[in-house]
Amino acid sequence: MEENIIEVENLTKIYENGNVLAVDNIDLHIKQGEIFALLGPNGAGKTTTISMLATLLSNTAGQAIVNGYDIKKHPDKVRKSIGIVFQEPSLDGDMKGIENLEIHAILYGMPKKIRNAKIKEVLKLVDLEDKAEIFVRNYSGGMKRRLEIARGLLHEPKILFLDEPTLGLDPQTRRKIWEKIKELNKGESKITILITTHYMEEADELADRICIMDHGKIIALDTSKNLKKQLSGDVIDIEFDKIEDTSLLPSLISQLKEIPGIKHISLGDSKNNQEEIPLNLPKNIPNIDPNVIKARMQEMMQDPKKLLMAWKNFPMSQQMFQDAPLEMKKKIANMFNDDLIKDIPENIREVIINIKNGVFEDDNSREISKISISCEHGGKQLPLIMQNIDQKKIIIKNIYMHQPTLEDVFLHYVGTKIREETSDRTKDIKKRIQMRQLTR
Amino acid sequence: MSDLNLKHIGINYPAVWILTKREVIAFWRDKARIISSFAQAILFLLVFGYSLGQNTFPPGFNYKAYLASGIGALTILFTGIFGGMGLMRDKMFGFMKELIVAPVSRQTLMIGRTLGIAIQTVIQVLIILTLGIAFGFLGYNPDLFLRILIIIPIALAASMGIVGIGLIIGTKIRNFQSFGLIQTFIVMPMFWLSGTILPITNDSILYPIYQYNPFSYCVDLFRSVLIGINNFDIWLDILVMSAFAIGLILLGAISFNKMDVS
Repeated sequence: MEENIIEVENLTKIYENGNVLAVDNIDLHIKQGEIFALLGPNGAGKTTTISMLATLLSNTAGQAIVNGYDIKKHPDKVRKSIGIVFQEPSLDGDMKGIENLEIHAILYGMPKKIRNAKIKEVLKLVDLEDKAEIFVRNYSGGMKRRLEIARGLLHEPKILFLDEPTLGLDPQTRRKIWEKIKELNKGESKITILITTHYMEEADELADRICIMDHGKIIALDTSKNLKKQLSGDVIDIEFDKIEDTSLLPSLISQLKEIPGIKHISLGDSKNNQEEIPLNLPKNIPNIDPNVIKARMQEMMQDPKKLLMAWKNFPMSQQMFQDAPLEMKKKIANMFNDDLIKDIPENIREVIINIKNGVFEDDNSREISKISISCEHGGKQLPLIMQNIDQKKIIIKNIYMHQPTLEDVFLHYVGTKIREETSDRTKDIKKRIQMRQLTR
Repeated sequence: MSDLNLKHIGINYPAVWILTKREVIAFWRDKARIISSFAQAILFLLVFGYSLGQNTFPPGFNYKAYLASGIGALTILFTGIFGGMGLMRDKMFGFMKELIVAPVSRQTLMIGRTLGIAIQTVIQVLIILTLGIAFGFLGYNPDLFLRILIIIPIALAASMGIVGIGLIIGTKIRNFQSFGLIQTFIVMPMFWLSGTILPITNDSILYPIYQYNPFSYCVDLFRSVLIGINNFDIWLDILVMSAFAIGLILLGAISFNKMDVS
């Protein structure tokens, strides 16, 4: 027990306005000196959990001990024990980098003697020594993040909370921040780090243990290695050639499920659809987070009117359409009915009309169906799977067998649907609260 | 949504000092704001000082002195309300989170901010009074210097109350669009109906509003100390202004404590 620096028992948070159950009775035991990742989709309760541990929010029920102090009884001591880097920037842009640190040092009651030396030390740690005298509003996103990490470390906390530390940063900057995080966790002054993220590779790369949360509950908690083992065995992805009779597929799947050793079959790709959208960005565009562009594209693929807007206003997006694979062009073409086709810019309209008339119909553009099977021993079950598929006279185009990735584990637990904070979810939670009250 | 305010740990004076310093530095660096506030004061001094001839007023009434002292008091209103609302900037740019999570009480944060703005206000009042003297509006009495010294604590106290209004607004509103609304419905009525620039006499139909505008008493006190013209009894001025300042500081503290940053 003594080596646990954070002890959480039955921690619950209900937001009173809207009766939202954000964190539902969770237990956490975080060891001294480990990097602990909270992973989960949007709205899973990660940030709420961190906010409670940082004493920014009061908990509705349960208790938490941080560095030996109860969050309810000694919030000030808890605050001094932790450094926190928020999801959104929290710097004063009208002050210089060094002034931001000075304000922090005084707020945290650091004596004048050690203040300046410590400020120099943390600035050096994040490579911002020569930028200290620059106004923070002129910093780049990565520099701001690093300054925030430096600030979080300034008062020598025992625990560092990082809430989505690399959100919206480019890959190089992200790597750099990962290196810094790892550096902090090395050596004698091993600092405990609690990190929330929804980047799988971030959790995989950094964390000693990973906790997957969803709907305010912990649904899995272990090392990355063990989590992958839990899903155990192999994942077999099978790509079919065009299936003449699509009704064959459901019966095939129910047959496959009968095979001993097969745990789970999912239709389509096991990965998010958004990964499938190829991203051939032109070289000359400014630093925009690729994730942002992906999200925009995802949005546009659902609404032809937004696509039209993009084509009209950003010539770049027309080029992207021209470069897209036929598969995607077909998808887009299908979104437009005769009414909307009139509004498409001329050079694109031609392509889309051609696709609609089937001019580009060729082997590559056939519909590809995929299934993803997780099973105990790929080698053993594969022949049986093949046999079943053969019986249905379905032609296989490709087979991949691989170890489950952390992403497979994550999707296994939380499903593939995209989460939005909709009223449905609130209703769902309200129902659950009512249920709880009834059962008590 | 923050329910934990660390009330029991009281006020952290070094933290108050650094927050006050932060406000003053920010004021000093924002040259555009300083210039525009002085330009406005000069404009008021020139336009009103020279547009209304001496015949408009009863004989013996020194309108130029009345105007210059009124504009000095006006600075308290403008700087105080918009300074207090400046906390919305911190909310929008996230710095408020850094402050809220620090191991200091909300009172500490609030006092630091209020003091910082009050000091800015006093500096501006002094500069505008100097301008008034330079324009020759306030005369050149040797005891004017002493009167200005007495003005300093009055301006400090009045501005604390006004900052309270700004803080209450700043904790409630969420974007800069509301600035115009506040300007039209709070700042301007308080300004025009407090006799800062044009005297409101007791036969005017606006007089009751003037009488119930707490800022009128700040202006009146300011003016009676500075040039000896007053509408109300000086003790009534002091009483109303103190009650106003204390009440609004408390209300400001309450809304600051309840402030939701998440």
